[in-house]
Amino acid sequence: MTSNDTLMSARPRRVSYEEVRARIGEPEDMIRAKVHDRIDRHGHRFIAHSPFVAMATSDAHGLPDCSPRGDYPGFVKVLDERTLAIPDRPGNKLADSFRNLAENDGIGLMFVIPGMREVMRVNGHAYPTDEPDVLARMRTEGKDAQLAIVVEVVEAFFHCGRALIRSRLWDPASQALAAELPSAGEVAVDQMGLDVDPAVLENMLETAYRQLY
Amino acid sequence: MQTTVLDRVEPVADGTVSLVLRGADGPLAPWEPGAHVDLALPNWLTRQYSLCGDPADRGSYRVAVRHDRLSRGGSEYIHLFLRTGRTMEVSLPRNNFPLLPAPEYLFVAGGIGITPMVSMLAAAVESGAVATLVYVGRSLVTMPFAGELRAAYGDRVRVYATEEHGRPDFAALAAALNPQALVYCCGPMSMLDAAEAVFPAQRLHIERFQPTVRQFAPNQPFEVHCVRSGKTVPVAAEESMLDALNHAGCRVSSGCREGVCGSCEITVVDGEPEHRDDIGAPPGRMYCCVSRALSGRLVVDL
Repeated sequence: MTSNDTLMSARPRRVSYEEVRARIGEPEDMIRAKVHDRIDRHGHRFIAHSPFVAMATSDAHGLPDCSPRGDYPGFVKVLDERTLAIPDRPGNKLADSFRNLAENDGIGLMFVIPGMREVMRVNGHAYPTDEPDVLARMRTEGKDAQLAIVVEVVEAFFHCGRALIRSRLWDPASQALAAELPSAGEVAVDQMGLDVDPAVLENMLETAYRQLY
Repeated sequence: MQTTVLDRVEPVADGTVSLVLRGADGPLAPWEPGAHVDLALPNWLTRQYSLCGDPADRGSYRVAVRHDRLSRGGSEYIHLFLRTGRTMEVSLPRNNFPLLPAPEYLFVAGGIGITPMVSMLAAAVESGAVATLVYVGRSLVTMPFAGELRAAYGDRVRVYATEEHGRPDFAALAAALNPQALVYCCGPMSMLDAAEAVFPAQRLHIERFQPTVRQFAPNQPFEVHCVRSGKTVPVAAEESMLDALNHAGCRVSSGCREGVCGSCEITVVDGEPEHRDDIGAPPGRMYCCVSRALSGRLVVDL
């Protein structure tokens, strides 16, 4: 039990969507108008400079999952103004996203560019592909991507920078936060109740991280 | 690396732009016809391009880039997003395609493979040799420099737009070849294969943009001893020698990482490398991005 659990006497109360609307008000027309149904040249430029995207999918029951994807800027390819392709590189082989897409083709993407406060969001429908011409565009260090996720764009829009400003995400001083956490090895030893030196796990992880493609 | 400023981006054919990169800190390093440079792009990719300007111009480099339909992010970035006025890091020129002395030359270029030939043809003509350029492309509008080359060299330049005239007869070219002539060929894989099939190997020089597809024996682990730093670096079966050296702090620069550009060339002091590159390493050298070891241990000058 952590101290947070003991502090809470009951579940926080739920408010209805109508109450939420009443609290936050209605968006300006200009904000509504920013949602496009395709990737225009500004969107293409944004994606071409983004080395990181958060990818949300959900299963047949609607249980969502958000997974990070990253590589060199532009690793997500804009095939045309309504179609993106995201490479699948070696990972933990859980394939949660692929399993979800097999059940529910909805996908939500948030593209991030280091140093940029605004982010770009794309929502649509997705499916896996092994199309050689698509995988060829993702060849890195002599290796093709094993699969790619094709995204058929429904909505694309820029999202304002307030969250990234408040979070000081690009402030170099913010990186000091990482030093406040135990290492991934220490966490794994604790969570799995292992009787090994965390440094051994750290070394294994570092070795695995050297094989990126 | 040399710092340049991108002065101009201009179309030179359908789907091809030329970039003029001006030295930011005075004259740029000299180069010989056939040389290429690595261009470090803002999207962290490094790409190799043949220099197609005038070697006598020390103030700037010129390259030409075709927008590849299957771009992995290099040519697409250059065509759609690169902005003039931007500072760009460019490597020192390297030459895997040098013009060797000969009384006669046959240059065979396919598409964007024309780029190294521009200065090579000029140098060959300048030397007084007999020089012919066979330049093959889909159609005239997609072929950079075709007009300029015809204007400058007349009948020495034979342009084949395959949509109109079909392909040149390589077998006939080979049959008519002066035994003293050297053949230089740069273009798509199918053209290079056709050239290798008809021209004598010892007369033929090839520049590739892509690695050939070959099968190698399964990777074996080995170790590399670096004489200058005194470090011994193990190379696991699943990692490249280049990555292992860099992770161990023995810095080796790299470009294509596919064995075609030559930027990761290192000197081998002892041991037997297993060459897997498409450049053809000179004796005592190797390209450590793709090449490995036949002996369990290599000693290198790092």
